[in-house]
Amino acid sequence: MSPKKLKIMVLDDEPIVCKRLQPALEKLGYEVDTFTQSLEALHRIRDFDYDIIITDLKMKGVDGMRFLQEAKKRRPETEVIVITGFATLETAKESFQKGVFDFIAKPFKLSEIQEVVAKAAAKIQAQSG
Amino acid sequence: MKILFAADEYPYSAYALNEIIRLAVNTWADVTLMAAGPVGIEIPQEHPLLRALQKYREIFLKRSETEGSPYARKNWRHEWLPLKNGLFEELLVCRGEKRDVRVCFRNDNPVSGILAEAREEDSDLIILGCTKGQECIWQDAPPVPQRVVNDADCSVLLVKEEQPVTRILACLDQSYISQDSLEMINQLATIHKAQVELVGLSQSGDMKKDVYRRLIEIGDYYEDRQIQVATQLTEVKDFEKFVAHELKQDLLALWVGRKSLLDRFYPRDWVGRFVSKCQTSVLVMR
Repeated sequence: MSPKKLKIMVLDDEPIVCKRLQPALEKLGYEVDTFTQSLEALHRIRDFDYDIIITDLKMKGVDGMRFLQEAKKRRPETEVIVITGFATLETAKESFQKGVFDFIAKPFKLSEIQEVVAKAAAKIQAQSG
Repeated sequence: MKILFAADEYPYSAYALNEIIRLAVNTWADVTLMAAGPVGIEIPQEHPLLRALQKYREIFLKRSETEGSPYARKNWRHEWLPLKNGLFEELLVCRGEKRDVRVCFRNDNPVSGILAEAREEDSDLIILGCTKGQECIWQDAPPVPQRVVNDADCSVLLVKEEQPVTRILACLDQSYISQDSLEMINQLATIHKAQVELVGLSQSGDMKKDVYRRLIEIGDYYEDRQIQVATQLTEVKDFEKFVAHELKQDLLALWVGRKSLLDRFYPRDWVGRFVSKCQTSVLVMR
């Protein structure tokens, strides 16, 4: 039996980021949904379980930090990866206090995010036995 | 983000190290500290470049040692490492907890060594220091900074002197601007709490429509992200004078591309020429 496809949400208000990440992750066999509106993404996680969430921090409406908090509160086993164009030591620390899996500053190479996602996937698969 | 710090053993490299530490601790970048020089078959352990790299590594780890530092060295493990002639040896190594700081030396000409390391490591940014003012050189290998800036495939941050950056002057002379370069400016503006000033380059008072449109789009991009942004136009023929005299506590950011107006207006290797004219640090974006 083939292993179940992990489901990934990508949330970034810059469409270009979603456009780059979706094919790069689908190519690795993940099921990927992309969102550019954080409120819409917030509604989505209320009735759908994602294994991995990749979220930007600075967004209009619900910001990434609040989104991360909501996502972990609703489903603690979801691994959240933060990507940000405005990285500071404080935001990195706060993200880890809120249980983020990794923190990646933009610009990043696709291979960098693919590698982090693979590590998160390995952790999820190890935990599910 | 992957950052390559290319250094020699002189004080301007130590200045530039401050910039890389600041950028790394905020962005959790993967960092390589490197030096290059032709040394023959064996490298003496007391070689000044090796001693400098060891000192930079110590400073980096000490200064980045904050609570929850991604570089904290806690992760001891055995790894097979290549030595020479196909020989591998299993060595006990200590890696950073979440991000690593590599330290390496290339037995090569400094320019080709730095460029090769950046290519092989797929670096996003090369950072290097150089002498103050209009010299812009390395003490033992004068042309290194200008050659690296001219020939690198990735962006290069040339740190001229230790000074606060309060403004980033981003000079736009073409419509092709990569997302990565916009993000690089975001990070630097955030870290330095700097204002961004977009400088549109015109020719006889005119700007190409697509460049002008891009200038407005980039201004909106930064405004949307709550970065203070201003715009001004400068004649391309006066640009060299502008670079030499009007920049004080500024970081000059230049986009390098095939459709660059500067590329057509000025002779070959103009990037290195402006970089040396400029009294302050320069970010060359690709």
